[in-house]
Amino acid sequence: MKVSQFQNSAARWVGAAAMAGAVFAAPAVSYSQEFGPIVAPEFDAAKAELGKRLFFDVRLSGDAAISCATCHQPDKGFSDGLALSKAYPGSKGFRNTPTLINTAMRENWFHDGRIGTNLNDVTRESLTEDYSMNMDMRLMQERVKQDPVYVQMFADAGMGEPSNGGIRNLIPEYLKTLVSRNAPFDTGTMNEAAQRGLELFTGKAGCASCHSGPLLTDDARYNTGVPDNPEIWSDPMRHMTYAAFASFMGIENYMNVRRDVGAYIWDHKADGSTIGTFITPTLRELKYTAPYMHNGTMDTLFEVVAFYNEGGGDDPNKDPSLQPLGLSFGEQKDIVAFLEALSGDPLTGPEFVWEEPIPTDYPAIENWREQTN
Amino acid sequence: MKPITTFSLLAGSAIAAVAVGAISATWAQDMAVPPLAALGEPPIPLDNPMSEEKIELGKMLFWDPRLGGDASTACVTCHEPDQGWAFSDALSRGYPGTVHWRNSQSVINGAYLGQLFWAGSAASLEKQAKSAATGAVAGNGESDVMETRLAFIPEYRSRFNDVFGTEWPRIGDAWAAIAAFERTLIVNDTPIDRYLNGDTSALDEEQLAGMELFNGKAGCIACHNGAQATDEKYYNLGVPPAERWETDGLAQITYRYEIFAKGVTQEMYRVLKDDPGLYFRTKETADMGKFRTPPLRYTAYTAPYMHNGAFWDFEEVVRFYNAGGGENDFTDGTMAATKTPLLQPLGLNDDEVDQLVAFLEAFSGDELEVEPPELPPYAALPSQ
Repeated sequence: MKVSQFQNSAARWVGAAAMAGAVFAAPAVSYSQEFGPIVAPEFDAAKAELGKRLFFDVRLSGDAAISCATCHQPDKGFSDGLALSKAYPGSKGFRNTPTLINTAMRENWFHDGRIGTNLNDVTRESLTEDYSMNMDMRLMQERVKQDPVYVQMFADAGMGEPSNGGIRNLIPEYLKTLVSRNAPFDTGTMNEAAQRGLELFTGKAGCASCHSGPLLTDDARYNTGVPDNPEIWSDPMRHMTYAAFASFMGIENYMNVRRDVGAYIWDHKADGSTIGTFITPTLRELKYTAPYMHNGTMDTLFEVVAFYNEGGGDDPNKDPSLQPLGLSFGEQKDIVAFLEALSGDPLTGPEFVWEEPIPTDYPAIENWREQTN
Repeated sequence: MKPITTFSLLAGSAIAAVAVGAISATWAQDMAVPPLAALGEPPIPLDNPMSEEKIELGKMLFWDPRLGGDASTACVTCHEPDQGWAFSDALSRGYPGTVHWRNSQSVINGAYLGQLFWAGSAASLEKQAKSAATGAVAGNGESDVMETRLAFIPEYRSRFNDVFGTEWPRIGDAWAAIAAFERTLIVNDTPIDRYLNGDTSALDEEQLAGMELFNGKAGCIACHNGAQATDEKYYNLGVPPAERWETDGLAQITYRYEIFAKGVTQEMYRVLKDDPGLYFRTKETADMGKFRTPPLRYTAYTAPYMHNGAFWDFEEVVRFYNAGGGENDFTDGTMAATKTPLLQPLGLNDDEVDQLVAFLEAFSGDELEVEPPELPPYAALPSQ
């Protein structure tokens, strides 16, 4: 896509809205970002290869039961196919696992956007949080140092000896390799339905007011009234995990919270206006990442489009720009076709997956007493 | 060595004596240490009074693996009632995916101790419980998660409310309840106690001979004194480093993790190959390799012995002392030379070794068995 095309689309959209008597709130947005193509980040191959092995290694979790790939599975678009993620043993997740494809180009992470710095911090958060991997990184460092394959790979990658700081740099290096490829949208091979969908997406349906830029997200947060997932509150393990999270994040009266407060969890905005806001997700690779929304409450893309066609959900904090769209059944199908055209080749196979077995035990260092630690 | 000379003289004089209890007191006075004594009631801290309800709650929590990271490890996981309320391996079991780096100590009679853990890093049972539940190679739990888990167990909500008066269970109160339960794990009806309370038939002849050695020639009383048979002080005996560190990758990981996490210099991290013990608390070279004298009570059930489980039975232990202790990385002066001068070869013959072993058996009494509690389930909270 070219900027000019996109701006043309936007202009047509605004024009159409005006002619239709502004039946839906149509802000006169001037889209400054183009949709694509994605510019893949540069990465260091040796470091990325090392990061890949770390990503698939269960020894990076506290009890050595799960790896990053347990929830971020390559054949599911680096998501897990579940409405709510699994979490570390003894806890149960309260959010949908987001894809990691293109995550290196994001500006903030997690559905509530609580990490807005870099993937090093995201990696740290995921490794150490009690409900995700519950890893004491000092122990992680010593585990990795015990594996001669890692010791060699660290040296070969110019990373010195294994360290927890190094691990936090290497996993992000691997994540840089996870970039969409060959999506019909990018290769210019969209079918007619998808092309009609694109027109609607940037025009009448207004999706592009938030789903903009190469990843089709503005990385900003909104309340679109997505209904709560009742399982978070009916399953004591999920509710417990959420309550512990809310407690840790400093939410008052966290035992009586009965909804996912979204970005409020970290900004604590006094007027409550951020309750129920979540970061706009990328729309790439959706083909592999059902179910949808921050809590997995929608199984199909059609459900999602129909939801927005109704003007979103029911929430006092709902963003006022969400209004019923008046899309026909066919138009909704066209938007779905466009969304499907945003998915590329699966990122599977040895380029993206560490396929050799990773041992779960550790060889002893020989002549231990004679070696420096 | 002077102490040994003193012991020998005392032992000589003991043979002539009749009233054993009185003799012990005399020896102890001469050595300025308290004599062995019958164990009374445990001290109860003013800020954690006992109640039946609290003890019952603490017992449930002691068994409840939800007070651990992945809900698989409870206190009881490394303090198994049928393994002396300890763990029958040289190094304790550790959290899944790890092994611990020290020997698990018995919970029995922990109530009397002023300092818990081998290097005395916890000053109360309450603090010990928290440290164990949160350490990466023990419980690996996070306080917020563990506390919240308790809140989703209706029976615990009700019991915490009854005992502590809170609307929701608080994790600090969980440690208090566990400590209260542990203060009921008392074994003070051992042959030693009966003997010191006047039942002269409680020890047989071999054990009486062993006691004389303990108080005299062998000099055990110098450190293993008082009602708990410990002075709660710290010594380097020259116990050799754990063998498993040389042969097991998992144990090597934990070893490095511990010295890294407990905080040593970069240089020391590189070269340490033994457990510096008390050094972690004081950072004084003079404290390297020192561990708290363990109580001798209930030890018949808690093999193996020493801070790293180096010895598998009493005879090994006694022979170690008979040889004047051993050597480790903090005895030869390369890093430190902290071995206690109290340890010198004892010159015990085989019969005397047997006598001391027989006497050590008298510290344990009957095994303390407890019916494991039923653990209450999670349940959803009412919607608001």
